[in-house]
Amino acid sequence: MSSVYVWKIGGPAGFGIMTTGPMFAKVLKASGYHVHGYPEYPSLIRGGYNCYQIAFGDTEVTAPYKKIDMYVALSDECFNREMFEEGTYVIGDFANLKNAGDIKAKKIDVPLMDIVKEMDGPDIMRNSVALGAAAALLGLDFALLEKNLMAAYKEKVAKINVDAAKKGYESVKERYSVVCKPSPDKCAPALYVTGNEATSIGAVAGGLTFFSTYPMTPASSILHYLAKCTREHGLVVKHTEDEISGINMAVGASFAGARAMTGTAGGGFSLMNEGLGLAAITEVPIVLAVSQRPGPATGMATWTEQGDLKYIINASQGEFIRAVYSPGSVEECYKFTFDALNLADKYHIPVFVLLDKFLSESHFMAEKMPETGEVNRGYIFEGNEEEPMAYFNRFTEKKDGVGVRVIPGTKGGLYIASSNEHTDEGFVSDKADVRKSQVERRFRKLKPLTDDMPHPELFGKKDAPLTFVCFGSVKMMLLEAMKHTDKFNFIHFPAVIPLNWDKVKKMLEGRNLCVMENNYTAQLRGIIAENTGIIIEKTFLKYDGRPFFNEEIVSFAEEAAK
Amino acid sequence: MKALDYNTGQKPVWCPGCGNFAIWNSIKKALAEAGVEPHRLALVSGIGCSGKMINHVRAYGFHGLHGRTMPVATGIRLANPDMKVLVNGGDGDGYGMGVGHFVHSMRRNVDLTYIVHNNKVYGLTTGQASPTNDVGSPSKSTPFGVVDEPLNPIAIAIDAGATYVARGFSGDSEQLAELILGGLNHNGFALIDVFQPCVTFGGKYQYEYYQERVVKIENHDVTDADAALKLSKTKDKLPIGLFYKAEGHPSYNEMHPEIEKAQVRKRDVTALLEELV
Ligand SMILES: Cc1ncc(C[n+]2csc(CCOP(=O)(O)OP(=O)(O)O)c2C)c(N)n1
Ligand code: SF4
Repeated sequence: MSSVYVWKIGGPAGFGIMTTGPMFAKVLKASGYHVHGYPEYPSLIRGGYNCYQIAFGDTEVTAPYKKIDMYVALSDECFNREMFEEGTYVIGDFANLKNAGDIKAKKIDVPLMDIVKEMDGPDIMRNSVALGAAAALLGLDFALLEKNLMAAYKEKVAKINVDAAKKGYESVKERYSVVCKPSPDKCAPALYVTGNEATSIGAVAGGLTFFSTYPMTPASSILHYLAKCTREHGLVVKHTEDEISGINMAVGASFAGARAMTGTAGGGFSLMNEGLGLAAITEVPIVLAVSQRPGPATGMATWTEQGDLKYIINASQGEFIRAVYSPGSVEECYKFTFDALNLADKYHIPVFVLLDKFLSESHFMAEKMPETGEVNRGYIFEGNEEEPMAYFNRFTEKKDGVGVRVIPGTKGGLYIASSNEHTDEGFVSDKADVRKSQVERRFRKLKPLTDDMPHPELFGKKDAPLTFVCFGSVKMMLLEAMKHTDKFNFIHFPAVIPLNWDKVKKMLEGRNLCVMENNYTAQLRGIIAENTGIIIEKTFLKYDGRPFFNEEIVSFAEEAAK
Repeated sequence: MKALDYNTGQKPVWCPGCGNFAIWNSIKKALAEAGVEPHRLALVSGIGCSGKMINHVRAYGFHGLHGRTMPVATGIRLANPDMKVLVNGGDGDGYGMGVGHFVHSMRRNVDLTYIVHNNKVYGLTTGQASPTNDVGSPSKSTPFGVVDEPLNPIAIAIDAGATYVARGFSGDSEQLAELILGGLNHNGFALIDVFQPCVTFGGKYQYEYYQERVVKIENHDVTDADAALKLSKTKDKLPIGLFYKAEGHPSYNEMHPEIEKAQVRKRDVTALLEELV
């Protein structure tokens, strides 16, 4: 086989592509391959065109490709959407596919509907027949497919789907030869996980006790995942009436002692804007997982972009500090969410985990999740039994600008968390000296906070002719492209603010730099320029809702390095 | 506890004669009677003259954003069931800006006591009409008279699922204290809408206006929602007192059994990760 083989399944929404795809990826993984899964779908429940791409190979695979080596066509729509090369294998029920007539690809004809009818099964069982066919063509062990089908469906349904897959498997085995023999080094049993799953699990590990939000793609699966964890892990999850309520409820819970988080997409975050400022001035710790999609407004609900970086960094009126993590992998999603919860508690600030649709919903393999530290709640007042009625100086600096937190219910710790500027006890005040000293104290957190943030890192050969500069999920795409060309290395920002910009500047200087971002205005470039004075002239930008595909990066790098 | 114990020593900034003073006194009285210790009390306020209450009642306080008291209070209640939660807000705050949160909080029957200082205007921003102002009355933002129909918070509350619905009047702080006490002792969502004259911007809605119209609710079965709804729609008179009280509904915390277990500590997620292999 070539180093990376691309398998893809496509059909109308409602055909079960989004369960079939990841399930088949697990079969490939169990067969010893490294796999990466990338879903594309419109914002429709029925109809439209859904597809799931699995790129797999003998070594780690982390990003999608344009090429397709094998394709499962479940409807005519596929032929309007996909470009097939002569070498592509297309598995389909060609008697029932009208548009397939003139495709160049090699047709693997499997009578999906006939088999399903024969077995008296529902139409959707076609998927299983097709998977069986694909497994045979790829030379996979049927037992592995059977095992994963059994795990994916409820018992009774599972059995009949296994039978259907068997029929597809046999049908192909009799008539075609294996096109791609799996000869991979067996990779260790690893996780197959999306960014949202990793983020959610990082939050559970980090002792999250409260999550409240309103659903919005591509962040909704964080809500779903955490909601499933409530009973077992002692976690309150509320689907609120809107995002305004979502963040305010989380702030209320955090004030009351919970470890609180909310999660949304850019549109929902627009509503959370005021709540963000509320958390900042009341110094109530909060973590926000924001997954970007193309905007403004509703934009393209189910596609990817990195267009919200500047918004996240600047959102809300007034001046205050916040921290923004921009994880580039599932491991970082896990680790940074854990760390974000600690950081919020340590500095009493809002902390962001900035995701995007590509990272949130694509599947990546991870050997294991990174080690984390301990849960750290920062300074907490233990109470004063002697003077239970006393007010407490919650907003007096203990160290590094940070005050001592009180959990309501503590004797002698009375204070007010106020959205107004306030005294050390929290009483409203607009005296000049009070305002000045509170602002200065809150900003004194910035220096130690900066030291706690992960610093940009260089990937690849030190002396490559071109250096891409990126944040967030673009890291995965560049790691993949690096396997195919040595013309570039890259600097990835795992966090964007606050950073030690002197150090960043030294790192950037003397290189042939090119920013690479999933947006139109090169937002990271702007932030770098503002903080270091370095203006990166070259840009490689994409803003059509799709991630960078491997071939695009390779050809750009080769061209730019000439 | 005595009512005086709840003073904070902060000087009120309300206009002399403002209806908020009576609400303040009634709150302190009710708290003392209910025996709520200040460190067990979370006071949540909106923004407006009403919201200033936060500075004057000794308690843990959260002075939130305009219209957003309900979600904050709900968060507190869910995260810390040992706290009594008492919310103060204006009619602009709760019935205008926050009406969505208001309705959904009642649907949830969250266990809290919500006092709305209903002066029919925006006091702090100097006299624009609020959603309870009557059609025809002029204000700074409606110089030719309000054209929108007023909303009826009592009817909305009974319908939306609040399990304790009352209306008080700043001119009768005795009764008001009793209503608040009832709310504090009630397990579920308690709304106490209060006719609170704004002596500076309230236009016709002054003490005399209310004194001529209020009647104490008598001979009314508070467990009868239909009767309470009907009563809330009385046109010529303004009934004050307890409209509705439903017992036996599970309160919000009871419906969230995970609260008991919610503790901040590092968790072992091996099992969750294994599901993904
Ligand atoms: C988002 C937002 N919009 C507007 C304001 C300005 N504002 C402050 S108080 C208020 C109205 C208060 O009226 P009400 O809730 O009836 O309280 P009252 O002052 O009458 O007690 C407004 C509009 C604000 N603080 N926040
Ligand atoms: S403006 Fe009205 S509501 Fe505000 S303090 Fe003065 S009298 Fe009271």
